[in-house]
Amino acid sequence: MIIRLYSAGLLFILVAGWELFCRTSGLSALIMPAPTAILETLWEGLTVGYLWPHIWVTTVEIVLGLTLGCGIGFFCGIVLGETDFIRRLLYPYVLASQVVPKLALGPLFVIWFGSGILPTVVITALICFFPLLENTLTGIQHVDPQKRELFRMLGATPLQTLRRLKIASGLPVIMAGVRVAVVLSFVGAVVGEFIGASEGLGALIIGAQGMMDTTLMFAIFVIITVQGMIFYQATLSAERWLLRHHMKGINQ
Amino acid sequence: MDMATSFLSIDSATFAFQSSERVVDGIDWSIGEGEFRCLVGRSGCGKTTLLKIAAGLLRPTEGAIFINGAKVTAPSAQVGFIFQSPTLLEWEQVIDNVLLPISLKRSPAKTDRQKANDLLSLVGLADYSARYPRELSGGQQSRVAIARALINDPAVLLLDEPFAALDAITREELQDDLLRLCDLSQTTVLFVTHDIAEAVYLSDRVAVMESGHLTHEVTVDLAKPRQRDMRYSPRFNNLCLEVRQAMDEAA
Repeated sequence: MIIRLYSAGLLFILVAGWELFCRTSGLSALIMPAPTAILETLWEGLTVGYLWPHIWVTTVEIVLGLTLGCGIGFFCGIVLGETDFIRRLLYPYVLASQVVPKLALGPLFVIWFGSGILPTVVITALICFFPLLENTLTGIQHVDPQKRELFRMLGATPLQTLRRLKIASGLPVIMAGVRVAVVLSFVGAVVGEFIGASEGLGALIIGAQGMMDTTLMFAIFVIITVQGMIFYQATLSAERWLLRHHMKGINQ
Repeated sequence: MDMATSFLSIDSATFAFQSSERVVDGIDWSIGEGEFRCLVGRSGCGKTTLLKIAAGLLRPTEGAIFINGAKVTAPSAQVGFIFQSPTLLEWEQVIDNVLLPISLKRSPAKTDRQKANDLLSLVGLADYSARYPRELSGGQQSRVAIARALINDPAVLLLDEPFAALDAITREELQDDLLRLCDLSQTTVLFVTHDIAEAVYLSDRVAVMESGHLTHEVTVDLAKPRQRDMRYSPRFNNLCLEVRQAMDEAA
């Protein structure tokens, strides 16, 4: 608890130092706006309301991209983990596809899917796909061999073994993949919006750049940071809930 | 013992991993119903492999296993297996771990839960049914594994050095519990261990295994039920010595 207090105190000192620096150095607000100015812009944007539609669009993109990417990644991880043949056949391709920087595909997706939220959702999903695939594959393959033998001894079907043993024991690893995906999804969505989107926080950053509105840019950074922390905390809570049985008996 | 009275019979069982030497080499052994047999041997002598063949987890390269006259081709519910470690599902409650063999077949009924609770009481864990495995000590986890293996009333129980990782006192307690439970249900037992005293204390007959062969058999004529004091009796020590010498000769 006390460490949290120090943590908050450190933030206060940093912001105060920043404010002091801006006021005394005479640096142009175009380069480095003061925290108070940023907060003012932020407050105005939120109360007048022009920021909300952008926040909404980005949130929708992240939620959709995350759900799609995680869902498909999890499913493919299961399929690849369960069928040796398909894994050997497809894994080199999956790996190769991950080496391609997905953000570089943005302009192509704009041509394919137009300038709405779709190209950003696709980029976000592609970015979230790999951590889930990789962690699901690892999670369900690294099961204690003796436990596998136990399930064989008890005549469990492959589906029962998958559900009650492999996914259950791999869940901590799979959830670690979800956490990575959540962090990456913000990169995917914001940078995805840089390329050809007309709405969303990423598009707003490009707009602010065009107007040399550094203060607005910083205000958006604050929003993205807060949004990211909310998403991350929500994921942590979900993870704790899902793993509540796994944690029993482990000293925390 | 002839084939007519044998319950678990191993009929010239041989096992070899692809083209390498035989891990189990033409073993014949018959175990009567309700008997408690131990198989002792050094690490790598093939005893675990033989046990897995008996369980139907491995298919013998040659020969066969018969339980009550029926050939073993796959794991079955009438055979209970206890592994080297308790092998519990850490994310499920103790009671659900005990019920696992049933819940993989059908959803457990009230009577099944009652039976699981009875078994937990028998192994002294009546108050632990809602706990999780990691909240239990090593000895308690082994007890849960025993309860799980007995939930289906197996005719045959196969154990692969189940107490090797426990401290000496806990191990002795578990040996007594196991004997009591097996006596209660008249289970036929094949117990694999490298601990000579454990083998002599538990079983009616001890076989020594070396390089895939059964080299020696010792009949244990200690009174039943076993008492703790017997571990220090001259007869017990003589039997241990006999097994030890048989192991040395075989090596």
